Order: sequence, then structure tokens, then C-alpha cells
Amino acid sequence: MIGAAIVKEVQLLLHDRGRLISLFALPVIFILVFGSMFSFGPDRGEPQSIAIWHEPGDARGVAIERALAATPGFAAKAEPSADAVRHEVATQGVNAGLIVPAQGIVELSIDLGAPLQVRGPLQGALAGVVVRALSPPSAMTGPPIEAVTPPGLSKPLDDISGFQVTVPGNAVLFGFFIAMAVAISFASERHTGTWRRLLASPVPRWQALLGKLFPYFLISIVQLAFLFGIGAAVFHMRVAGSVAALALVSLAVSLCAVSFGMLVASFGGTEKQIGSIVPVVLLVMGLIGGCMFPRILMPPAMKQIGLAVPHSWALDAYTDLLIRTGTGIAQVATPIAAIVGFAVVFGGLGLWRFRFER
Amino acid sequence: MNVLELRGLGKDYGERTAVRAVDLDVVKGEIFGLLGPNGAGKTTTISMACGVVTPTRGSVTIAGIDLATNARAAKHKLGLVPQELAIFGELSAVQNLAWFGALYNLHGARAAERIDWALGVVGLRDRARDVVKTYSGGMQRRLNIAAGLLHRPELLILDEPTVGVDPQSRNHIFDTVRALRADGMTVIYTTHYMEEVEALCDRVAIMDHGEIVALGTQSELIARYAGKGIELELAGDLDAASRAAEPVATVVRDGKLLRVEPKAGLGAVIAAIEATGAVITRIESRQASLETAFLALTGRDLRDQEAA
Repeated sequence: MIGAAIVKEVQLLLHDRGRLISLFALPVIFILVFGSMFSFGPDRGEPQSIAIWHEPGDARGVAIERALAATPGFAAKAEPSADAVRHEVATQGVNAGLIVPAQGIVELSIDLGAPLQVRGPLQGALAGVVVRALSPPSAMTGPPIEAVTPPGLSKPLDDISGFQVTVPGNAVLFGFFIAMAVAISFASERHTGTWRRLLASPVPRWQALLGKLFPYFLISIVQLAFLFGIGAAVFHMRVAGSVAALALVSLAVSLCAVSFGMLVASFGGTEKQIGSIVPVVLLVMGLIGGCMFPRILMPPAMKQIGLAVPHSWALDAYTDLLIRTGTGIAQVATPIAAIVGFAVVFGGLGLWRFRFER
Repeated sequence: MNVLELRGLGKDYGERTAVRAVDLDVVKGEIFGLLGPNGAGKTTTISMACGVVTPTRGSVTIAGIDLATNARAAKHKLGLVPQELAIFGELSAVQNLAWFGALYNLHGARAAERIDWALGVVGLRDRARDVVKTYSGGMQRRLNIAAGLLHRPELLILDEPTVGVDPQSRNHIFDTVRALRADGMTVIYTTHYMEEVEALCDRVAIMDHGEIVALGTQSELIARYAGKGIELELAGDLDAASRAAEPVATVVRDGKLLRVEPKAGLGAVIAAIEATGAVITRIESRQASLETAFLALTGRDLRDQEAA
């Protein structure tokens, strides 16, 4: 019966263009758009232009301009005057500019209204460039600072593209949309009477329930495999850690998403109600779980709140597996346990609330 | 031999009693009609008999097998055709029937043979591979029936199988039901259409307020409950006229009509009504029928209930 249920649900899915798009096509579009927007690696995209002006031949100005040009990720863009620098920043021709007078303090021209998450790193990096350029040569025996991964964290890949982050983010976000498909499928069967026919058949009730849930578990696995496959084949996403661990995390995510679908189905709404409410719930869960905006950039309180949804645990695991070399099952055991825990809670509540006869 | 036995079967939803305590025997090979106004408890009774709804009390035995203790075996003997179009519109007839057959452990060649047979019974063989949502309403109803009889049950329960179908498809469904009975299948048929019961059913149970209020062959019910009667069309206060006639007749209000069965002559009834100021505009002798029996038992017209 389970085999026939899988065939039936797959046949129904293949006839449902809307569901196919939301499960398979939409995430790919999101991956493409978000991945193109975020370029994290130094070799990804053009270096960021920084406008600069100094008095011709001014030693301080020349030193800063040279240091700027030598800094990876930055390109010095010389302007004819201080006002020209300010104009470039004000008109968003560049994100920041340096005005180096012959004497006195160096002016960093930057939009202080920009979000701190965007402005802060740029401001810090340019301050470092200026300090380094103006330090006495005797004090500069080597680089003033070196980035080192602390013990306990595996070494990250050298060049991390935006797709290393947006592929798992969207895979988790849209992976949980299977919950909506599960709930709508239950509502549809109740509405059309096929559920009544199923209950009148000799199939035990636990098997009837399994026959509804298991096909969607498999579809969810196929969906995640498809998205990570597209990520690797088309967007050059790499897996720095263990592929087996990645598969295990994906199984846990699929289990959790289907369990959440069971919980939603247990509320017994109509297809229309589910279709209008559940996407909002899933988007909010994805948002606070870091699927659309990295949790690392969120305020501490939001980071903690994010732990209340399985998305954040899944993303933590995926991030480690895609970015940190040598990450294996042991390193992602805690997130996996958390995701399975969510699955147990969702599924348990769903089973407790679910009514075969409604 | 009884194919279905209900003993003291009842269902409560909290404080509300949907079905009180139904006792019913359905004999092998008969077409059994179940009639009742909306809310009478027909669908709940059928749902309990099929194992779709768990009874609060009582027992169900299907072909000698107790449903509570051996649900799997009992349900193999039973086929349900729900009132809704319980089929998948996006799939073909064959894909639908393959799924419903799998619920009864029908797979492979055996399933293919049964699907072909069922489609033949309902006259849909030539549309077997077409997507169901391209079918007419009547064809979809016929496929709904095919899904219920695929495993050749001993007892087929048809819950309002002709709702919204054209006369041609309705006749086809009648022919199918008769053919299944001729093949030895027992059929329980619920409907809102009195003429369907009159055309098909050997015995009839009338349900009202969660219990069976009458049970027998059509002629038994007509003889027992329809009797002879008079139909009166009135101008004036029908409520007052109805109340005035009650001491001298059995009175059933039916829209703008009063249906009366005089206890001691028609003259006393007319006098009582006219004393209220109402004017009798038409008097007609009523023909005894299943419908009049139904009206006498429930005080309600089946069609009016449906429309309401």
C-alpha cells in the first residue's frame, strides 16, 4: 500500500504545476538572485572602489593611496578635489571615500545612515588601511594583524562564494514548504471524500497516515538533493566537509518538515486557509532562522530567538559542512539532534491533535 | 442470510446524539433504501457501518464478521461510494482505480483485470486513460461507483450516487445497480429522490431524529403509513386551520397545503377549518405512495429538506 501511495502522490504532484514551481523552480530562482547579490570572496566580483583625494605630492596622501591599492578587495579611485569625493559618496558612486588634507585628521566620507552591518566592516577596514599607511616604517616589520581560525573550528574554504550560503539557505527555506504540501494534501482528501474512502478500506489507520506522510518525506529528500545538486553543478557550490553528514542533515530536515506538515494538517483547515496562512508562517520561520539574512549579522537577541526554529539549526549544520573543511557527522551531531527533536515535537503534537474522523 | 447487521448502533457528539440506537438487518441480494431528511442520521449510520466513524455504542457485523474485532476482514466485504466525488480529478480513471485497488491488496495483473471489469460495469472503458477532470459530471459519478466495487464487495453502500447527474447517467447508474444485484451483490442506497427508491429498492428504512422510524417493503410502508388522505389548498391562516383540524384528523403541513386523514369523516375536518375563517380553494384525493408515507412519518417533504 505504501508503494501505491508513493506512486499516487508523485502522480498528483506531477500534475500540480503550482506545487512543482514552489518546491523546485522558485528556490532555484532565489538561489540565483541571492547568490548573485552576495559576493563574499575577494576573487568574486570587482574590487570595491574607494574615492580618494590628497594634495598633489603630499606624502601622507600618497602613502594612503598606495596602501589602499595594495589592500585586497579595494581599488583606489583618485578624485580631483575633496568635494568630488564627497559628491561621489553622496550620489552612491562609491560606498566610501578618503579625504587626506595636508595636515590634520583624515576624513572618512561615508553614509552614516547605512546599516551598521554594512557600514561597520567597511569603516573598520579603511581605518586599518589609514593607520597602517601612516605608521612609521620601523614599526611595520610585518602585517599588523593576522586572521587565524581558533582551535575547535575547522579551517574554512579559501574562497567562499555567495552560493555557499544561499544554496543551503533557500534549500532549508523551501524545503519546509513541503509542510504546506502535506497539509493541503490532507485537506484536499478530506474535502473530496477520498480520505473517507480510505478509512472505509481494510487499510489500518496508522498505515493510512503513513501512506500520506512517507511519500512527502521522499519528495522532500528528492527536493533537497535536487537543490544541492543544482547548487554544485550550476552554481559551483562546494562541500568542504563530509557528504554523508550533509545527507544525514538533509534526512533530518525532511523528517522535520514533514512532521511540521503533520502538525499543520492536525489543525484541519481548508486548502484555502492553509494556502494563505502557512506560507507566511514558513517565511517568518525562515527569516528568523537565517535563511534570507545570515544569523551571524543579527543582533544577539535575534540570534537566540532563531534557535527556536529548526531552520537555524539546519543552516548552522549546512554552513559548517559547506564551508569548514573536515566537518563530519560528529561536528554536526548537535544540530542534527536538535532538528530531530523538533521533528519529534512537531510530529508528536500533530499525532495528538490529528483526528481521523472530522 | 444477513449481509449487514446493526445492533443498538449509536453515536454521540458531546451532548448531541446523532444516532440513538439503530437495529437493522440487510439481507443478501437485496437493494435496501435508506431514506430520511437532512440531519436524520443516515450518513452517520452509514459511516459507522463502514468503519469510517467509531460508534459510541452498539455493533456492526458485515457478512458475519464483527467490524470492531476484525475490521480488516469485515471491510474487505464492503464497498463504499461516498456522496462526494471521492476520486482524483488530476489522474486518469486507471490511475485512480489502481490506487483504490491497492487499498484492497489488488496489484499487477489481478488489479488490471478488476479495473477493466469495473470500468466495463460503469461503461467507461473507452475513457480509461483520460484525465478524470475532463469527464462529464455523470461520468465522474460512474467512476466514483467503479472505485467502490473494484474489489467485488458483498455489500455496496451508495450514498446519494446520483446527485447532480443528467437523466442519461442516472439511468445508467440504475442499470448498474440492478446488474450488480443480479450478480449477487447487496446494495444499500441512500437518496433524496423518492422515485429512485421506488424504482430500485426492495426494502426501505426511513430515518428521522437519529432513529429508524419505519422499516419494510415499499408496499408495507405505504399500507401502514400512507393510508388514504385528502389534500387541501387553503387561503387564510394555515397555522390556525391546521390546529383546528388536528382533533378530527391526522394533519401534515406541506408548504401551502394541508394533507389530512380524517378520523371521522371529511365534513368535520372542513367545518373545523372553515370555522377559523380560512377558505378551502381546492380539495384533492391523495394517492397513497412512499412519499405520503414519508410525509406521514417525518412531517417533512424530502425534496424540501434538500432545498433547505
